[in-house]
Amino acid sequence: METRQLSARMTAAWPWISTVARLGLAAVFLTAGLLKVGDLAASGRAVNAYRLFSYDTAKVIGAVQPFLEIALGLLLLIGLAVRLSAAIAALLLVIFIAGIVSAWARGLQIDCGCFSKGGDLAAGRTAQYGLEILRDVGFLILAGILLAKPRTRFSLDGLLMGER
Amino acid sequence: MSKGNRGRDRAAARRIVEQQKAAAKRRRVTIWTSVAVVAVLLIAGLIGWGVYASQSKNDAAGVVTPSVAVDDGTAFALGTGPVTIDVYEDFMCPICHQFENAAGDTIAQMVTDKKVTVRYHTVAILDDASNGTKYSTRSAGAAAAAAEGGKFKEYHDALYDNQPEENSDGLSDAKLIELGKGVGLGDDFAKAVTGKTYDAWVGKVTDTFSARGFNGTPTVVVNGKQVTGPNGSVPTADVLTKAVDAAAG
Repeated sequence: METRQLSARMTAAWPWISTVARLGLAAVFLTAGLLKVGDLAASGRAVNAYRLFSYDTAKVIGAVQPFLEIALGLLLLIGLAVRLSAAIAALLLVIFIAGIVSAWARGLQIDCGCFSKGGDLAAGRTAQYGLEILRDVGFLILAGILLAKPRTRFSLDGLLMGER
Repeated sequence: MSKGNRGRDRAAARRIVEQQKAAAKRRRVTIWTSVAVVAVLLIAGLIGWGVYASQSKNDAAGVVTPSVAVDDGTAFALGTGPVTIDVYEDFMCPICHQFENAAGDTIAQMVTDKKVTVRYHTVAILDDASNGTKYSTRSAGAAAAAAEGGKFKEYHDALYDNQPEENSDGLSDAKLIELGKGVGLGDDFAKAVTGKTYDAWVGKVTDTFSARGFNGTPTVVVNGKQVTGPNGSVPTADVLTKAVDAAAG
């Protein structure tokens, strides 16, 4: 009886938990994109600092990425195709984490450029790879919640499905 | 079959049909919202690409290269020595100031002794550290104007002597002009600073710097090989002298 009550309560709570995850993830991507979109050249240099691509490729990635992040943030904010949006967010986060891990493994001293212009660190500053990865894993968990439970309140999905 | 039974069957059938309709609607909504998401992301990516392409075209069109610049027009050279030192600096960067304090005299001496040619690359990677006034670009553009007036090194040193704090507004254009007057630069210099004549060119210098795989300032290169102290730190005067001696053979 008690477990059934608990599970009923969880069923009622999931849409709210997912809503918080959705809006949180939306804020993450909007912030990341908006902080970079004002200076695309700097964003390209941040990608270049990972030394994974040629500079020309890095420049294009650096220019396109902030726009993708903003668009994905807006899609999550309005709640359109939440499961797919969350899957794309998770894919991006996995790529970001892989990039940071590879920079760490190669002993580069860079700023991840996640929420900033990035680049090499000035002398005397040490890279914060562990914290950066931990933070991205936290975001990945938000995306995971949405993948498992994509039904949320105040979403366009809900409106289109005719849910109240 | 009784009448009651038939009613129940009909109600059950209706429910099933409604459920199927609802499921079909959910599928339809899922498909179309997914299509919309992919379309939005594709368009956003194309917008980014378009903005990037038009920006790089505009930047390239606005570049005025200082006539005295060397190395594909991206640096200012001092001296005529056989060993080349390339110094990539941002006038907003405090570590660059430290490097100048520590090794500037040594470099100047090697120039006087005709041991080296030093090429200063005035990059701007700290534009976001001056409250939106883009001090890195403005100061580097002013240094280019100073180079046109034949006073690059004097002006370069004056900028470091008066280096503003990171994340301040930086020096105003008026102050940049005043510093120029202090080293003997005239109206042409003032006009170039006010008109931002060389600011787009600074973008090209920074681009060249990145394209060569460098990411931080100061970057010091001797005969094409980057020189660093222990653990990738900025080279001291001693480390630099040794690298030059080794390159001279």
